[in-house]
Amino acid sequence: MVVIEDDRSKDMCPICRTDRYLSPNMTFLINPECYHKICESCVDRIFSLGPAPCPYPNCGKILRKNRFKKQVFDDITIEREVDIRKRVTGIYNKTEDDFNDLKQYNEYLENIENIVFNLSNNIDSEETEKNLVEYENEHKLEILEKNMRESEKNADLVKYQEDMAKLKQEKLKLQQKMEQEDIEFQKQQKQDLLDKLSHSSGNSEDIIAQANKKMLKRSSARKRQLQQLNGQLEKQFGSGGTGVVEESGNMTPFTPFKGDRDLEKRYTLLSISDNFDMDKSDGKHTYYDPFVNNLAKNKEYLAGGWRLENVFERALDEAFMGLECFIDKEKLTV
Amino acid sequence: MTQRKYTKEKKVGEGTYAVVYLGKTEKSRQIAIKEIKTGLFKDGLDMSAIREVKYLQELRHENVIELIDVFSNDGNLNLVLEFLPADLEVLIKDQSIIFKPGDIKSWLLMTLRGIHHCHRNFIIHRDLKPNNLLISPDGYLKIADFGLARSLGNANEDLSSNVVTRWYRSPELLFGAKHYDTAVDIWSIGIIFAELMLRTPYLPGQDDINQLDVTFRALGTPTEANWPNVTALPLYNAINVYAPPSRQELRNRFSAATEKALDLLIAMTVLDPSKRCNSTQALMDDFFTESPPPTRPENLPSKNTNKKQKTE
Repeated sequence: MVVIEDDRSKDMCPICRTDRYLSPNMTFLINPECYHKICESCVDRIFSLGPAPCPYPNCGKILRKNRFKKQVFDDITIEREVDIRKRVTGIYNKTEDDFNDLKQYNEYLENIENIVFNLSNNIDSEETEKNLVEYENEHKLEILEKNMRESEKNADLVKYQEDMAKLKQEKLKLQQKMEQEDIEFQKQQKQDLLDKLSHSSGNSEDIIAQANKKMLKRSSARKRQLQQLNGQLEKQFGSGGTGVVEESGNMTPFTPFKGDRDLEKRYTLLSISDNFDMDKSDGKHTYYDPFVNNLAKNKEYLAGGWRLENVFERALDEAFMGLECFIDKEKLTV
Repeated sequence: MTQRKYTKEKKVGEGTYAVVYLGKTEKSRQIAIKEIKTGLFKDGLDMSAIREVKYLQELRHENVIELIDVFSNDGNLNLVLEFLPADLEVLIKDQSIIFKPGDIKSWLLMTLRGIHHCHRNFIIHRDLKPNNLLISPDGYLKIADFGLARSLGNANEDLSSNVVTRWYRSPELLFGAKHYDTAVDIWSIGIIFAELMLRTPYLPGQDDINQLDVTFRALGTPTEANWPNVTALPLYNAINVYAPPSRQELRNRFSAATEKALDLLIAMTVLDPSKRCNSTQALMDDFFTESPPPTRPENLPSKNTNKKQKTE
């Protein structure tokens, strides 16, 4: 139970006390200045008008809205270390290829680790910070150049993402175009219909029916066309899970019950009259058991899901269950 | 004679009324032997042991735990059960395992098949929860622990409403109904389905009163309009009235669920037990024929495959 309590308080904004259960869309943001957790709507409310102090008691650090971000790690110390690491490796961004031998590269990495450790544990943090900024200013051009090179390497991934975005756009455009066409087509059809009705002497109902038929045909043809186009587009971009298709290729058909079901009952249940009392005139077409039928008037029984037909059905099922089962024979096969 | 048929190898667990050993049969099939402690209780054998023997003897289905044999030695009662090394609760809690939609579908399907077999034989399980859904080494899910099960008796017989672990208890039980039926199991499966998708308990009430509040907060407070006669139930109260959730709210809560999955979830968690779907209707739901197909048992995630992947 204690664990659950903790979960609850973790899901509540300490500033406005909104909790996640009632508003599942809420998200928490943190600011790398002090790493205090605040919900998104509070951030909007407090920091929209410019920098303001952190609303946590005894904190008071001045925070800016644009620095707020989503928390990735549960543990704040880890979150902070990752942030620092990201910043430091953004500045010290040389790769192994830039060094003549492995020893130099390892020394370089060791240096990075030292800086990260010092900053995240507040050891000589001021001096380390100063050195870091100095290094950044001195090597600005070099750092930028490295970044360019790296992004080229990662171009494949970026290209893939771009392709995906393009595919989506393409699809949307297509859909919009077709919808537009449909609307125009419908307008024209209506006009045609009116013209026909006013000029021809034939039966007006026939003409309307004909027109409706035409529309239906066209709309189903449209759907097919859309599906085809979608399929083509997907093929063109080589997306879609091929693994799933492979698996479904050699599958046995799906059977929900795997044979464990009576498809045909050996009896038919007579309808049960709604008032549960003996209807003397219709006694032949229903079954009346004074004791059980009386139970069906009990509201408490009904509310619990008790139903008269279930009682009768069970009695009949049990009566027929086991017929044509021969235990000796079955024992031999097992 | 019988003693030589099975070997006890090591003790794996001890409960209030039983000790569980691992063992093997003559044909070296792995088994679990549940030794019921006798003499501990003044009034004879524990009720749940009797229930377990009584109902498992009647049932044989690939999604229900198999009772292989029952024997007694030294005045102890021993149940020889199929060996099932894992359960669904462990898998749900292990955050390193990722559930694919097909996996959830497969587990739900096997649970429903197992419970359909029980219901077809007029046995209500009354304690369905992830902890009681065991997994065999080849991935098959099997319903276990029939210690609270009972068969439907006479039409006017009172049933105890203090059954099913709290988080999986249906609203009619929470209201103290004494004449419920198989719908209580369907509710539990619905809640397990939700838990499989959320990876955290869906309705974690802290006590019986709080359970009512949590349940209705998520699914709306029942009224005479959507549940006729509900006010006649012994413990009915409507202190807090919550509106039933809109479909959009449910969509937000189960962001990964498809529309068909939501339909089935809603059908299994209808407040009024007479309107809740039964096992037949649930199994025929479109959700199971919708893509992706249910994962084959041998391909389902398990503790072991996960470890293997790590060491490789």
